[in-house]
Amino acid sequence: MSKRWIGLVVVLWVTACSPIDPKLKQYLVEGERLYVLHCSNCHQRDGQGLRRVYPPLAGSDYLKENLPRVICSMKYGLQGEIIVNGIMYNQAMPGVPSLTELELAEIATYLYNSWGTQTGLIDARRIGPLLDSCARPRPRR
Amino acid sequence: MKYTKEMRLHWTKWVWLALMAIGCTGLDKPLPILGPREVDGADTLYHTIAPFRFVDQDSAVVTNADFTGKIYVADFFFTSCRTICPIMKTQMLRVYEATTEMPDVLLLSHTIDPEWDTVALLHDYAERLGVESRRWHFVTGQKDSIYKIAQTSYFATAMEDRSEPDGFIHSGAFLLIDRRGRIRGKYDGTKEEEVNRLIGDLKRLRRE
Ligand code: HEC
Repeated sequence: MSKRWIGLVVVLWVTACSPIDPKLKQYLVEGERLYVLHCSNCHQRDGQGLRRVYPPLAGSDYLKENLPRVICSMKYGLQGEIIVNGIMYNQAMPGVPSLTELELAEIATYLYNSWGTQTGLIDARRIGPLLDSCARPRPRR
Repeated sequence: MKYTKEMRLHWTKWVWLALMAIGCTGLDKPLPILGPREVDGADTLYHTIAPFRFVDQDSAVVTNADFTGKIYVADFFFTSCRTICPIMKTQMLRVYEATTEMPDVLLLSHTIDPEWDTVALLHDYAERLGVESRRWHFVTGQKDSIYKIAQTSYFATAMEDRSEPDGFIHSGAFLLIDRRGRIRGKYDGTKEEEVNRLIGDLKRLRRE
Protein backbone atom coordinates (compact mmCIF):
# COMPACT_ATOMS: atom_id res chain seq x y z
CA MET A 1 0.00 0.00 0.00
CA SER A 2 1.41 3.39 -0.95
CA LYS A 3 1.97 6.15 1.59
CA ARG A 4 -0.86 8.17 0.08
CA TRP A 5 -3.35 5.40 0.80
CA ILE A 6 -2.22 5.09 4.37
CA GLY A 7 -2.68 8.82 4.75
CA LEU A 8 -6.21 8.68 3.38
CA VAL A 9 -7.20 5.83 5.68
CA VAL A 10 -5.86 7.68 8.68
CA VAL A 11 -7.74 10.85 7.73
CA LEU A 12 -11.01 8.95 7.26
CA TRP A 13 -10.56 7.15 10.53
CA VAL A 14 -9.89 10.35 12.46
CA THR A 15 -12.81 12.26 10.95
CA ALA A 16 -15.19 9.34 11.43
CA CYS A 17 -14.32 9.11 15.10
CA SER A 18 -14.59 12.84 15.84
CA PRO A 19 -17.32 14.19 13.64
CA ILE A 20 -17.84 17.95 13.96
CA ASP A 21 -20.79 18.36 16.26
CA PRO A 22 -23.79 19.31 14.08
CA LYS A 23 -25.03 21.67 16.78
CA LEU A 24 -21.67 23.45 16.85
CA LYS A 25 -21.74 23.67 13.08
CA GLN A 26 -25.22 25.18 13.12
CA TYR A 27 -24.21 27.73 15.77
CA LEU A 28 -21.17 28.68 13.72
CA VAL A 29 -23.14 29.21 10.52
CA GLU A 30 -25.80 31.33 12.23
CA GLY A 31 -23.19 33.08 14.33
CA GLU A 32 -21.24 34.11 11.28
CA ARG A 33 -24.38 35.45 9.60
CA LEU A 34 -25.27 37.51 12.67
CA TYR A 35 -21.70 38.71 13.04
CA VAL A 36 -21.66 40.02 9.49
CA LEU A 37 -25.02 41.68 10.06
CA HIS A 38 -24.39 43.30 13.45
CA CYS A 39 -20.67 43.52 14.08
CA SER A 40 -18.52 43.44 10.96
CA ASN A 41 -19.24 47.07 10.06
CA CYS A 42 -16.95 48.11 12.86
CA HIS A 43 -14.81 45.11 13.73
CA GLN A 44 -14.40 44.22 10.04
CA ARG A 45 -15.18 40.96 8.34
CA ASP A 46 -11.84 39.46 9.39
CA GLY A 47 -12.12 40.64 13.02
CA GLN A 48 -9.13 42.97 12.71
CA GLY A 49 -10.96 46.15 13.81
CA LEU A 50 -10.06 49.61 12.53
CA ARG A 51 -6.92 51.34 13.76
CA ARG A 52 -7.43 52.55 17.36
CA VAL A 53 -11.13 53.28 16.77
CA TYR A 54 -12.58 49.77 16.73
CA PRO A 55 -10.62 47.09 18.62
CA PRO A 56 -9.75 43.74 17.05
CA LEU A 57 -11.65 40.60 18.01
CA ALA A 58 -9.24 38.26 16.26
CA GLY A 59 -6.53 37.45 18.78
CA SER A 60 -8.04 39.76 21.42
CA ASP A 61 -6.93 39.04 24.99
CA TYR A 62 -9.93 41.00 26.25
CA LEU A 63 -12.30 38.69 24.40
CA LYS A 64 -10.55 35.60 25.70
CA GLU A 65 -10.74 36.67 29.35
CA ASN A 66 -14.16 38.33 29.57
CA LEU A 67 -16.92 36.08 28.27
CA PRO A 68 -19.64 37.49 30.57
CA ARG A 69 -18.77 41.07 29.68
CA VAL A 70 -18.61 40.27 25.99
CA ILE A 71 -22.11 38.75 26.09
CA CYS A 72 -23.44 41.76 28.00
CA SER A 73 -21.83 44.28 25.67
CA MET A 74 -23.36 42.68 22.59
CA LYS A 75 -26.82 43.24 24.04
CA TYR A 76 -26.38 46.39 26.12
CA GLY A 77 -23.34 48.09 24.63
CA LEU A 78 -19.95 48.95 26.05
CA GLN A 79 -18.54 52.30 27.16
CA GLY A 80 -15.43 53.73 28.68
CA GLU A 81 -11.77 52.87 28.44
CA ILE A 82 -10.79 49.29 27.76
CA ILE A 83 -7.42 47.77 26.96
CA VAL A 84 -7.11 45.22 24.19
CA ASN A 85 -3.72 43.63 23.55
CA GLY A 86 -2.04 46.50 25.36
CA ILE A 87 -3.79 49.27 23.41
CA MET A 88 -6.35 51.59 25.00
CA TYR A 89 -9.70 52.07 23.27
CA ASN A 90 -12.40 54.48 24.30
CA GLN A 91 -15.34 54.77 21.99
CA ALA A 92 -18.91 53.79 22.78
CA MET A 93 -20.06 50.53 21.24
CA PRO A 94 -23.84 50.42 20.84
CA GLY A 95 -25.59 47.22 21.90
CA VAL A 96 -28.20 45.34 19.95
CA PRO A 97 -30.98 44.89 22.54
CA SER A 98 -33.10 42.75 20.22
CA LEU A 99 -30.59 39.88 20.22
CA THR A 100 -32.07 36.74 21.82
CA GLU A 101 -30.21 34.36 24.12
CA LEU A 102 -29.82 31.89 21.28
CA GLU A 103 -28.48 34.57 18.94
CA LEU A 104 -26.02 35.81 21.57
CA ALA A 105 -24.81 32.23 22.03
CA GLU A 106 -24.41 31.78 18.29
CA ILE A 107 -22.38 34.98 17.87
CA ALA A 108 -20.26 34.13 20.91
CA THR A 109 -19.63 30.64 19.56
CA TYR A 110 -18.53 32.19 16.29
CA LEU A 111 -16.20 34.67 18.04
CA TYR A 112 -14.65 32.01 20.25
CA ASN A 113 -14.10 29.55 17.39
CA SER A 114 -12.75 31.76 14.63
CA TRP A 115 -9.50 33.42 13.65
CA GLY A 116 -7.33 30.77 15.20
CA THR A 117 -9.16 30.10 18.47
CA GLN A 118 -11.19 26.99 19.21
CA THR A 119 -13.08 27.06 22.46
CA GLY A 120 -16.06 24.93 21.45
CA LEU A 121 -19.77 25.52 21.73
CA ILE A 122 -21.17 28.23 23.99
CA ASP A 123 -24.64 26.91 24.71
CA ALA A 124 -27.70 29.21 24.69
CA ARG A 125 -28.60 27.91 28.17
CA ARG A 126 -25.49 29.56 29.57
CA ILE A 127 -26.54 33.01 28.38
CA GLY A 128 -29.48 33.78 30.70
CA PRO A 129 -27.46 33.64 33.94
CA LEU A 130 -24.64 35.64 32.32
CA LEU A 131 -27.07 38.36 31.28
CA ASP A 132 -28.44 38.59 34.81
CA SER A 133 -25.01 39.66 35.94
CA CYS A 134 -24.86 42.63 33.56
CA ALA A 135 -24.92 46.18 34.69
CA ARG A 136 -27.31 47.65 32.16
CA PRO A 137 -26.22 51.07 31.01
CA ARG A 138 -28.96 53.53 30.34
CA PRO A 139 -29.51 54.23 26.65
CA ARG A 140 -27.90 57.39 25.38
CA ARG A 141 -30.89 59.00 23.74
CA MET B 1 12.91 64.87 -53.94
CA LYS B 2 10.33 62.28 -54.80
CA TYR B 3 7.77 61.23 -52.22
CA THR B 4 8.22 57.48 -51.96
CA LYS B 5 6.09 54.78 -50.42
CA GLU B 6 8.72 54.16 -47.74
CA MET B 7 8.61 57.78 -46.71
CA ARG B 8 4.86 57.63 -46.26
CA LEU B 9 5.13 54.51 -44.15
CA HIS B 10 7.71 56.22 -42.04
CA TRP B 11 5.44 59.21 -41.55
CA THR B 12 2.31 57.23 -40.62
CA LYS B 13 4.29 55.28 -38.05
CA TRP B 14 4.96 58.52 -36.17
CA VAL B 15 1.32 59.55 -36.35
CA TRP B 16 0.31 56.27 -34.78
CA LEU B 17 2.87 56.63 -32.04
CA ALA B 18 1.73 60.16 -31.26
CA LEU B 19 -1.92 59.08 -31.12
CA MET B 20 -1.07 56.26 -28.75
CA ALA B 21 0.86 58.60 -26.49
CA ILE B 22 -2.04 61.03 -26.32
CA GLY B 23 -4.44 58.19 -25.74
CA CYS B 24 -2.42 57.01 -22.77
CA THR B 25 -2.01 60.37 -21.09
CA GLY B 26 -5.69 61.01 -21.20
CA LEU B 27 -7.59 62.52 -23.98
CA ASP B 28 -10.24 60.93 -21.76
CA LYS B 29 -13.51 62.75 -21.36
CA PRO B 30 -13.52 65.35 -18.57
CA LEU B 31 -15.62 64.48 -15.55
CA PRO B 32 -19.17 65.82 -15.69
CA ILE B 33 -20.14 68.90 -13.68
CA LEU B 34 -23.08 67.90 -11.51
CA GLY B 35 -26.03 69.89 -10.23
CA PRO B 36 -28.33 72.52 -11.72
CA ARG B 37 -26.86 75.13 -14.02
CA GLU B 38 -27.88 78.47 -15.45
CA VAL B 39 -27.05 79.71 -18.89
CA ASP B 40 -26.33 83.41 -18.88
CA GLY B 41 -25.69 84.58 -22.41
CA ALA B 42 -22.55 82.81 -23.54
CA ASP B 43 -21.65 81.73 -20.00
CA THR B 44 -22.85 78.71 -18.10
CA LEU B 45 -23.06 79.17 -14.35
CA TYR B 46 -22.52 75.86 -12.59
CA HIS B 47 -23.72 74.86 -9.17
CA THR B 48 -21.06 75.43 -6.51
CA ILE B 49 -20.82 74.67 -2.77
CA ALA B 50 -22.35 77.56 -0.79
CA PRO B 51 -20.19 79.54 1.67
CA PHE B 52 -19.68 77.67 4.95
CA ARG B 53 -17.92 78.17 8.25
CA PHE B 54 -17.30 75.18 10.52
CA VAL B 55 -14.83 74.19 13.23
CA ASP B 56 -12.51 71.21 12.86
CA GLN B 57 -10.92 68.73 15.28
CA ASP B 58 -8.16 71.22 16.12
CA SER B 59 -10.70 73.97 16.91
CA ALA B 60 -9.58 75.72 13.72
CA VAL B 61 -12.19 77.57 11.69
CA VAL B 62 -12.67 75.93 8.31
CA THR B 63 -14.29 77.80 5.41
CA ASN B 64 -14.47 77.57 1.62
CA ALA B 65 -11.25 79.59 1.50
CA ASP B 66 -9.38 76.56 2.85
CA PHE B 67 -10.53 74.58 -0.17
CA THR B 68 -10.17 77.00 -3.07
CA GLY B 69 -7.61 75.72 -5.49
CA LYS B 70 -7.88 72.28 -3.83
CA ILE B 71 -9.71 69.16 -4.79
CA TYR B 72 -11.63 67.62 -1.92
CA VAL B 73 -13.84 64.70 -1.00
CA ALA B 74 -16.75 65.43 1.37
CA ASP B 75 -19.02 63.17 3.39
CA PHE B 76 -21.51 63.23 6.30
CA PHE B 77 -21.24 60.90 9.28
CA PHE B 78 -21.22 60.76 13.08
CA THR B 79 -18.87 58.94 15.41
CA SER B 80 -21.45 56.93 17.36
CA CYS B 81 -23.12 55.56 14.24
CA ARG B 82 -23.24 51.81 13.95
CA THR B 83 -24.76 51.31 10.53
CA ILE B 84 -22.90 52.63 7.51
CA CYS B 85 -20.42 55.16 8.95
CA PRO B 86 -17.85 52.61 10.11
CA ILE B 87 -17.74 51.26 6.55
CA MET B 88 -17.59 54.78 5.16
CA LYS B 89 -14.68 55.59 7.42
CA THR B 90 -12.87 52.41 6.38
CA GLN B 91 -13.35 53.45 2.77
CA MET B 92 -12.44 57.12 3.35
CA LEU B 93 -9.27 55.88 4.97
CA ARG B 94 -8.47 54.20 1.66
CA VAL B 95 -8.91 57.54 -0.12
CA TYR B 96 -6.66 59.11 2.53
CA GLU B 97 -3.98 56.47 1.96
CA ALA B 98 -4.27 56.79 -1.82
CA THR B 99 -3.71 60.56 -1.69
CA THR B 100 -0.73 60.81 0.68
CA GLU B 101 1.44 62.11 -2.13
CA MET B 102 -1.14 64.66 -3.32
CA PRO B 103 -0.89 67.90 -1.34
CA ASP B 104 -3.70 69.44 -3.40
CA VAL B 105 -6.25 66.85 -2.23
CA LEU B 106 -8.15 67.21 1.08
CA LEU B 107 -10.89 65.30 2.89
CA LEU B 108 -13.82 66.94 4.69
CA SER B 109 -16.07 64.88 7.00
CA HIS B 110 -19.05 66.68 8.56
CA THR B 111 -20.68 65.31 11.67
CA ILE B 112 -24.46 65.35 11.52
CA ASP B 113 -24.65 64.85 15.29
CA PRO B 114 -22.89 68.02 16.53
CA GLU B 115 -24.44 67.78 20.00
CA TRP B 116 -22.59 64.53 20.68
CA ASP B 117 -19.61 65.00 18.37
CA THR B 118 -17.85 67.87 20.07
CA VAL B 119 -14.51 69.22 18.89
CA ALA B 120 -12.78 67.24 21.64
CA LEU B 121 -14.50 64.03 20.58
CA LEU B 122 -13.69 64.59 16.90
CA HIS B 123 -10.09 65.30 17.87
CA ASP B 124 -9.88 62.02 19.73
CA TYR B 125 -11.56 60.19 16.87
CA ALA B 126 -9.17 61.54 14.23
CA GLU B 127 -6.21 60.75 16.42
CA ARG B 128 -7.38 57.18 16.91
CA LEU B 129 -7.86 56.88 13.19
CA GLY B 130 -4.25 58.04 12.93
CA VAL B 131 -4.89 60.79 10.38
CA GLU B 132 -3.49 64.31 10.07
CA SER B 133 -5.84 67.26 10.50
CA ARG B 134 -3.93 69.08 7.78
CA ARG B 135 -5.29 66.65 5.19
CA TRP B 136 -8.49 65.39 6.75
CA HIS B 137 -10.81 67.84 8.51
CA PHE B 138 -13.56 66.52 10.77
CA VAL B 139 -15.93 69.44 11.22
CA THR B 140 -18.80 70.33 13.47
CA GLY B 141 -21.00 73.42 13.67
CA GLN B 142 -24.58 74.59 13.89
CA LYS B 143 -26.79 71.60 13.28
CA ASP B 144 -29.03 73.55 10.91
CA SER B 145 -26.10 74.80 8.82
CA ILE B 146 -24.71 71.29 8.48
CA TYR B 147 -28.05 69.82 7.41
CA LYS B 148 -28.67 72.70 5.05
CA ILE B 149 -25.31 72.47 3.31
CA ALA B 150 -25.71 68.70 3.04
CA GLN B 151 -29.05 69.03 1.33
CA THR B 152 -28.72 72.15 -0.77
CA SER B 153 -25.02 72.20 -1.66
CA TYR B 154 -23.90 68.58 -1.72
CA PHE B 155 -27.34 67.04 -2.45
CA ALA B 156 -26.68 64.45 0.25
CA THR B 157 -29.41 63.38 2.64
CA ALA B 158 -28.89 64.16 6.30
CA MET B 159 -31.63 64.53 8.86
CA GLU B 160 -32.61 63.51 12.33
CA ASP B 161 -35.13 60.69 12.60
CA ARG B 162 -35.62 59.06 15.95
CA SER B 163 -37.37 56.08 14.42
CA GLU B 164 -34.15 55.06 12.65
CA PRO B 165 -31.84 52.63 14.51
CA ASP B 166 -29.17 55.32 14.70
CA GLY B 167 -31.48 58.29 15.16
CA PHE B 168 -30.49 59.76 11.80
CA ILE B 169 -31.10 59.19 8.13
CA HIS B 170 -28.09 59.91 6.02
CA SER B 171 -26.63 58.87 2.73
CA GLY B 172 -23.28 57.19 2.54
CA ALA B 173 -22.28 59.40 -0.38
CA PHE B 174 -18.78 60.68 -1.04
CA LEU B 175 -18.76 63.88 -3.09
CA LEU B 176 -15.84 64.87 -5.29
CA ILE B 177 -15.41 68.66 -5.42
CA ASP B 178 -13.10 70.43 -7.85
CA ARG B 179 -10.80 73.42 -7.37
CA ARG B 180 -13.68 75.79 -8.08
CA GLY B 181 -16.16 74.28 -5.65
CA ARG B 182 -18.14 72.35 -8.26
CA ILE B 183 -19.39 68.78 -7.75
CA ARG B 184 -17.67 66.44 -10.19
CA GLY B 185 -18.73 63.04 -8.89
CA LYS B 186 -20.94 61.24 -6.40
CA TYR B 187 -20.04 57.77 -5.10
CA ASP B 188 -21.44 55.26 -2.64
CA GLY B 189 -18.92 55.42 0.20
CA THR B 190 -19.97 52.01 1.49
CA LYS B 191 -18.86 50.16 -1.67
CA GLU B 192 -15.27 49.34 -2.39
CA GLU B 193 -15.67 49.41 -6.20
CA GLU B 194 -17.34 52.83 -6.09
CA VAL B 195 -14.47 54.15 -4.00
CA ASN B 196 -11.99 52.70 -6.50
CA ARG B 197 -13.80 54.70 -9.17
CA LEU B 198 -13.56 57.81 -6.98
CA ILE B 199 -9.81 57.37 -6.60
CA GLY B 200 -9.49 57.03 -10.40
CA ASP B 201 -11.62 60.13 -10.99
CA LEU B 202 -9.59 62.09 -8.47
CA LYS B 203 -6.46 61.44 -10.47
CA ARG B 204 -8.22 62.52 -13.68
CA LEU B 205 -9.46 65.69 -12.03
CA ARG B 206 -5.94 66.61 -10.93
CA ARG B 207 -4.82 66.58 -14.56
CA GLU B 208 -7.51 69.04 -15.62
C1 HEC C 1 -20.56 50.85 15.92
C2 HEC C 1 -19.41 50.04 15.91
C3 HEC C 1 -19.46 48.70 16.62
C4 HEC C 1 -20.31 47.66 16.36
C5 HEC C 1 -21.44 47.59 15.36
C6 HEC C 1 -19.90 46.61 17.27
N1 HEC C 1 -18.83 47.00 18.01
FE1 HEC C 1 -17.81 45.90 19.39
N2 HEC C 1 -16.72 47.50 19.91
C7 HEC C 1 -16.81 48.74 19.31
C8 HEC C 1 -15.99 49.66 20.06
C9 HEC C 1 -15.82 51.14 19.73
C10 HEC C 1 -15.42 48.94 21.11
C11 HEC C 1 -14.53 49.51 22.23
C12 HEC C 1 -15.46 49.89 23.39
C13 HEC C 1 -14.82 50.80 24.42
O1 HEC C 1 -13.95 51.56 24.09
O2 HEC C 1 -15.28 50.75 25.58
C14 HEC C 1 -15.89 47.57 20.97
C15 HEC C 1 -15.50 46.52 21.80
C16 HEC C 1 -15.87 45.21 21.62
C17 HEC C 1 -15.34 44.08 22.36
C18 HEC C 1 -14.31 44.10 23.46
C19 HEC C 1 -12.95 44.46 22.97
C20 HEC C 1 -12.30 43.43 22.07
O3 HEC C 1 -11.83 43.83 21.00
O4 HEC C 1 -12.25 42.25 22.41
C21 HEC C 1 -15.95 42.96 21.86
C22 HEC C 1 -15.74 41.54 22.31
C23 HEC C 1 -16.89 43.40 20.87
N3 HEC C 1 -16.79 44.76 20.71
C24 HEC C 1 -17.71 42.56 20.16
C25 HEC C 1 -18.71 43.00 19.29
C26 HEC C 1 -19.73 42.14 18.72
C27 HEC C 1 -19.83 40.65 18.95
C28 HEC C 1 -20.53 42.94 17.95
C29 HEC C 1 -21.78 42.52 17.21
C30 HEC C 1 -22.86 42.02 18.01
C31 HEC C 1 -20.00 44.28 18.01
N4 HEC C 1 -18.91 44.28 18.85
C32 HEC C 1 -20.51 45.36 17.32
C33 HEC C 1 -17.55 49.07 18.20
C34 HEC C 1 -18.55 48.29 17.66
